[in-house]
Amino acid sequence: MAPSPCQNCQNNRAVIIRPKNRQKLCRTCFLNVFETEVHETITSTSLFYPGERVAIGASGGKDSTVLASVLKTLNERHNYGLQLCLLSIDEGIKGYRDDSLETVKRNAQQYEMPLEIVGYGELYGWTMDQVVAQVGKKGNCTYCGVFRRQALDRGAARLGIKHVVTGHNADDVAETVMMNLLRGDLPRLSRGTSIVTDSAASDIKRSKPLKYAYEKEIVLYAHHKQLDYFSTECIYSPEAFRGSARTLIKDLEKIRPSSILDIVKSGEDMAELVPAEVKGTSCARGAEDESAGGCGSQNGRSRGGEMAEMEKRLAADEAAESRETEIKLPVQAAPKQTKSKGSNQKVIKTQTMGKCERCGYISSQKVCKACALLEGLNRNRPKTAIEVGVSLEDEESSTTLMRQMERVQLGG
Amino acid sequence: MPGKEFLDPCVDCRDADAALTLRRRRLCKDCYIKFVSYKVFKRMEKYRLNREGPRNTRCKLLFPLSYGLSSSVLLHMLHCQLETQRSKPHAPPGFDLEVLIIEPSTMYSVPQYDAGFDLVQKLFPLCTFTRISFHDIFDLVPDIQETMSHFAGDEFKDDTSKTNTERLSAFRSSITTATSKTDVDRALVTRLIVAFAKKTDSLAIIWGDSDSRLAAKTLANVAKGRGSSVTWQVADGMSPWGLEFNYPLRDLFTAELRDYAGFFPELTDLIIPDEQLSENTLTKNLSIDELMMRYVLTQGEKYPGVMLNVTRTANKLDVSQMPSNVSHCTFCGASMMNEQHNEFCYACARSRPALSS
Repeated sequence: MAPSPCQNCQNNRAVIIRPKNRQKLCRTCFLNVFETEVHETITSTSLFYPGERVAIGASGGKDSTVLASVLKTLNERHNYGLQLCLLSIDEGIKGYRDDSLETVKRNAQQYEMPLEIVGYGELYGWTMDQVVAQVGKKGNCTYCGVFRRQALDRGAARLGIKHVVTGHNADDVAETVMMNLLRGDLPRLSRGTSIVTDSAASDIKRSKPLKYAYEKEIVLYAHHKQLDYFSTECIYSPEAFRGSARTLIKDLEKIRPSSILDIVKSGEDMAELVPAEVKGTSCARGAEDESAGGCGSQNGRSRGGEMAEMEKRLAADEAAESRETEIKLPVQAAPKQTKSKGSNQKVIKTQTMGKCERCGYISSQKVCKACALLEGLNRNRPKTAIEVGVSLEDEESSTTLMRQMERVQLGG
Repeated sequence: MPGKEFLDPCVDCRDADAALTLRRRRLCKDCYIKFVSYKVFKRMEKYRLNREGPRNTRCKLLFPLSYGLSSSVLLHMLHCQLETQRSKPHAPPGFDLEVLIIEPSTMYSVPQYDAGFDLVQKLFPLCTFTRISFHDIFDLVPDIQETMSHFAGDEFKDDTSKTNTERLSAFRSSITTATSKTDVDRALVTRLIVAFAKKTDSLAIIWGDSDSRLAAKTLANVAKGRGSSVTWQVADGMSPWGLEFNYPLRDLFTAELRDYAGFFPELTDLIIPDEQLSENTLTKNLSIDELMMRYVLTQGEKYPGVMLNVTRTANKLDVSQMPSNVSHCTFCGASMMNEQHNEFCYACARSRPALSS
């Protein structure tokens, strides 16, 4: 078969079939089109202001590496006037994060951006390896997700930055829309598609400039631009995490490549149709809230067990409902009572945000989710660990210090 | 005197042996029918009481019948309701049921189903029946021919000298992919049914979609960029056509409809069984609607509640949040949210011959 020319410049040989619309393009045109589309997303949503300091949540993976590279290119090309830096979280997973952090460190040099690394170990006193040793492989993603959300905010705060961009792509957003439909989660449906997740509760805004970029095109971009990225998935997220929604979206993409964008469009429209009283709760979105989805590598994807758990719950609701009907039947003569019951059910609790008693982080509860999880972890921490942690010398010196303090107080 | 002893008594009436398990409860046949019918009865109460309409007049409801399992079962249940309504001397006026059948052979390559048309009239004497062809859309929706020409683009020439059958099939064959074909057919069928409902002054259209069909429709609509249309294609309420759309089977599982049909041999005779989706078809060659149906059916075996929940979620969306000045697609009638004013909506544009991929 004769090589076909690029459908854009008609000049060079086409080497890429765009996954988005099956257009045949040469390397230069593809890179250009990709960058232009991200630029359009940024300008049409007025994502940044000149001089804004922006932290790029960098994991060393393809999405965040492409994001950093594209933002650097666009910032120079279109004079955004942004001060970009990289912000990485060190979950403390040996064989995964330590290697990917090396990639981020190289990226920082390649893109000449300052890098800040925030570790779970220093923030919480627990690395993910230690958490997994304690709680096992099941459910450890909950810890990681809760910790990550706070860690990103704290990292940004440490740098004095109010805007964090993440590498979420169109596939991720489409997956979230489908997941929230399956879960019946209206509040998340109403905000999952918006490019900026801003909240009254946190003064750090988050956005996803790659929201309309296909995962496959991100991989192509990284490949053709020869970007340096790390492609191993987290060792603690096993196959089981590839949930229903993800498979479904891959199948849809095979049938109609545009469907990923079509789902995003549907999600945006449906978000506006979420009842006001449910939407209302999303304004007060807690910082702890989004974390339930887990980490970037399986954000919004469900475990096999999650669906089964929900099925059980729904079946139980159903059973309860049928029992309820039986009791209700004679009451039907008095419609007023049933009416008041109906309106009672409609009252939706709105979250009021306060500060965590322990760490001062934003929370709707007295103690934030991270501190609650930490309490559970610390309670079960083997005593030997403490003995090892505090050596004899330390104890000596601390008692000495205390004696000295007492003396000072007495003297005063 | 002690009552009769049963080995496995029905948990509702305790007066017969249980025949089936319904949502973890063992029931006899009569109680099973009662429970299942009651779910539909509750959904139809609004029309039975007809509080909004003028006093003592029956409201007319249009019921499209496909001879499939769910619409046939629903018609059977509704006919039972009509029998009860008519037998009570002081009952509220209730409703009349106008049944519309689009002859299947005019849509797909299947033999004409005359036996079915004779049988339904015999089985449900309290309803009125009309049978039309798919191509009657040219007569019932006068502006459709112009819309079709615009939709199909310059490549397509509508030859008015040809018969309606030929013109319709020429238009349908101009649509290229499986997904677009089903999508376009759905839009046309809806328009045909709506036009007939308006012609007969019906208050609402009662759709026989089963729970799995509704769940699949929700997911397929979302996947095709028709997210905002689930407010009338899946949820109960006002459609953009100024007619109410209602889906009374939403609380029942398909397995329950199958059990119900099994109790009445005459229903089994009537129903055209669903075409089995071939397991061997490449995913790539399925339409999005077929893919979603397959997904809902396979996942529904393990997680029926989750699938039902999809439909419930769609039903919770609030149409009043829709901007009031929103314009509508001339082809499918959908509200065009967050898009510029065009003749065709975002989703229809995807199915147009020039653009569909």
